[in-house]
Amino acid sequence: MRLAISFIFALILAHNAYAGSQDLNQLLRDVKQRQAQERKLNKTREAEFLAEKQNQQQLLQTAKAELAKQEKLRAQLSTQLESNETLLAEMETQLKERSGELGELFGVAKQAAGDLQANLQGSIISAQYPDRIEALTRMTESKALPMISQLENLWFTLQQEMTESGKIVRFTQQIQIPGGERQEAEITRIGAFNALANGGYLNYDADAKILTSLARQPEGKYLDLIDSYRTSDAKKAPLGIDPTRGVMLNMLIQTPDAQERIQQGGVVGYIILLIGALGFLYALLRLSILVATGHKMKQQMHNDTAMDNNPLGRVLIATEQSPSQEVAALELILDEAITREVPNLEKGLSMIKLFAAVAPLLGLLGTVTGMIATFQSISLFGTGDPKLMADGISQALVTTMLGLSVAIPLLFLHNLLASRSKMLVQILDEQSAGLMSRRAGK
Amino acid sequence: MIESVAFIDDIRNFLYAGGDVLWVILGVTICLWCLIIERLLFIKQNYPFLRDSCLALWNQRTDKNSAYALFIRQELISEVLIKLNRGVAIIKVLIALCPLLGLLGTVTGMIHVFDVMAVTGTGNARAMAAGISKATITTMAGMVIAISGLYFSKLIEERVSDESHHLADLLKYH
Repeated sequence: MRLAISFIFALILAHNAYAGSQDLNQLLRDVKQRQAQERKLNKTREAEFLAEKQNQQQLLQTAKAELAKQEKLRAQLSTQLESNETLLAEMETQLKERSGELGELFGVAKQAAGDLQANLQGSIISAQYPDRIEALTRMTESKALPMISQLENLWFTLQQEMTESGKIVRFTQQIQIPGGERQEAEITRIGAFNALANGGYLNYDADAKILTSLARQPEGKYLDLIDSYRTSDAKKAPLGIDPTRGVMLNMLIQTPDAQERIQQGGVVGYIILLIGALGFLYALLRLSILVATGHKMKQQMHNDTAMDNNPLGRVLIATEQSPSQEVAALELILDEAITREVPNLEKGLSMIKLFAAVAPLLGLLGTVTGMIATFQSISLFGTGDPKLMADGISQALVTTMLGLSVAIPLLFLHNLLASRSKMLVQILDEQSAGLMSRRAGK
Repeated sequence: MIESVAFIDDIRNFLYAGGDVLWVILGVTICLWCLIIERLLFIKQNYPFLRDSCLALWNQRTDKNSAYALFIRQELISEVLIKLNRGVAIIKVLIALCPLLGLLGTVTGMIHVFDVMAVTGTGNARAMAAGISKATITTMAGMVIAISGLYFSKLIEERVSDESHHLADLLKYH
């Protein structure tokens, strides 16, 4: 600082040298005066600094004291931490010891809750109590140990499922009808097995949590049971239940009815049915003709005048009109007349027999084409999924079934026709000569 | 009483397990056995009268060996034979139909099995059991009916053929 001041002085001196020498005295006075001022100022500042120094010293001492205090505290706390850690470890071991068996127990409880949840999801009883599954889900999904209330709930739900599965309950709830709409209905629930509403069976949709009316109901006799059950006042009434809890009813929707069955048979199936219908109609026609003919022949046997509306009458007329009445000639004429009549009686027999024989053969053809379809699907998709093969297999089986169900009645009808026509031919063959002899009075 | 109810229950369960075709087989069986019993009773009770009246008619005649007489003899025998043979052909065809019906039942049972398979896959043997019992029970029933009926059908045929020869022997030419 002094250096700076002397430098300033030097500058001032240099300046003043130019100004002139008359104010040099003035300048000297000034300098002296300023020096005194400076000294005074410096002293004040020195005093100030000294005072400050003491203050700082005091502050340092306070800080040091504080530090010592904190150090002490730290030591104290770290001891406490250590002791706490030991305590914690001790406690943990204790907890482990004490909850050793309980942990297993809670595991079992959770597992039981999980199983029950899975069971309840498909149970028809859940339709009546839709909220109970959520409580179980909370219990199985939380990591924490189950609360007493949750354990009690598990117990209660199990007991409820058991009790309700032995009850027949009526309640009103929304159901889903096949169109997809929902409507209120009075539901009768039979244990955990079936639910009925509007005279039909219901199915429980676990995903939508709603009872749905079956798209296709079981056979009429099971539906009649529902009606009679609803109206009966007796303590006991018969009713169809599905012990598989819906599996069988579901299967029912998938099983095709008679019409779909026939469609499964394909072209071959329709051909078989056509042959069956033709054969049936023709056989019935022939049967009625033969019955009528037989009736007229019976009448002819007890009638003295020969009529030409039946084979026997025509044969007798032929012998009557014969010019010669010699036995040998008459026999020839008789034979000739009978030979004329026989084809009429046996007409159509071979045709019906052919139909009866062709129907199972066509069934076999359908079986083979069905098997071809099956093997094609095997070569495309492998044998892994039997459902893909089902189409060909049903064609194979349905055509065989159709073939048999056409052949059996046709065979029976053919037999009826054959035995009847055989009887009529027998009458013509063996009795016409006798009748002729009687009429001749011999 | 309780036993008989249990017995009826058993039969109902059996018929139910066999499906619709078993009912048809039951119907065929009832027809078959009615016809068999009717034939046996006819041969035992009605036929002797028929034979005697036929014999009496023949014995009334003085002329027994002219050509006309032979015609009449043939007519008499034929009338009896037609009555004796009535229904025998139906018995035979019903017996032939029984195994066919059994086969039909097998096929419908197999259709049921494949329907079940299409729904549940091949894993569920229990669900397929209903179809398999349909298939096997009907075949068994068809076979049992056919075999038991076959004996009586042959018996009746034998009797009819015996009786017709016997009758022809009885109607003497002199």
